[in-house]
Amino acid sequence: MTIKVRFFARFRELLGTDIVVTAQEGTHLLGLVKKIAEKSREGYDAIFDAKGEFREFVIVMQNGRRVETATAGSTPVTDGDEIAVFPPVAGG
Amino acid sequence: MLSSRERERYKRQLLLFGDEGQEWLKKAHIFIAGAGGLGSPVSIYLAVAGVGTLTVVDKDVVDQTNLNRQILHYDRDIGRKKTESAEEKLRAYNPDIDIRVIDTTIDAENAGHLVGRADGIVDAMDNYPTRYLLNDIAHQKKIPLFHGAIRGFYGQVTTIIPEKTACLRCIFPCAPPSEVFPVVGATPGVIGTIQATEVLKYLLGTGDLLANRLLIWDGMAMHAEEIAVEKNPACPSCGKGSGSQNLPVPDTKRKHKTEKT
Repeated sequence: MTIKVRFFARFRELLGTDIVVTAQEGTHLLGLVKKIAEKSREGYDAIFDAKGEFREFVIVMQNGRRVETATAGSTPVTDGDEIAVFPPVAGG
Repeated sequence: MLSSRERERYKRQLLLFGDEGQEWLKKAHIFIAGAGGLGSPVSIYLAVAGVGTLTVVDKDVVDQTNLNRQILHYDRDIGRKKTESAEEKLRAYNPDIDIRVIDTTIDAENAGHLVGRADGIVDAMDNYPTRYLLNDIAHQKKIPLFHGAIRGFYGQVTTIIPEKTACLRCIFPCAPPSEVFPVVGATPGVIGTIQATEVLKYLLGTGDLLANRLLIWDGMAMHAEEIAVEKNPACPSCGKGSGSQNLPVPDTKRKHKTEKT
């Protein structure tokens, strides 16, 4: 199955965007994003904490719907999914 | 009634929304939290558009490092209260409106009182704890919160309408870590101008607001993206059982044009 992963803002700078990957049945969201992020140490560290979980402020959307990042390890992805990963900003 | 002076001043926008629209702006009161990078373009554009009353709150003094982006403040203002500097500039931009400035830190104790009977709150803050507080006040008073935030060449902006849209905490349940954020002045220029546009549209009851839509601005890729957002029924700020659901709502708000239908 084919999944599209879109990174935004700083994540996009570090990892690129509109990344189309082929995944096997049973792949979960956390593992999928992790695998892509592993190509850049800085990119990986920006998104994941030391335990390999999504940092708590990272916003993850699956087909426009927000995913609780704490459950991303058990959230399956399906063919044609579009995943968006986005870092909120704080400055004013 | 608009004066002949006002009619002349706003001539080019009267072409857009007529005397009636301009009167709506004149009667409106907008609370702007922060006179920094975002607060500068927001307050300038709302002032020149003729929003009748602007309250601007900030606790800081102008620092030299502010000047790459905080266009309300000039080099000569270094060391001066931001509120004092903002008041002077906004009055110079438009002497026909009422500018109120408050030199204080917004906190849980004073936030409701500071916002008072404003018709909307502009989030021009640089931290999430105060943003969450403004979000709560907006929900208590049932007035919109115009959210904006920036970092570097990136920004995000959305319009929160209590009871109708996702609130700030629905969208961002956890604050990103605080930091000395990098920024180039054009970024708050873009985001603040979008916030000001949203305020004007809301007051005029026209156009499509960024309601349940988070606009993400990427100045590096020169790309704007929209993410659909939705209310979280378990949200501690606006969900069922949250404090804001039980607080009394003062019936002080002027009927807004968007609510007349």
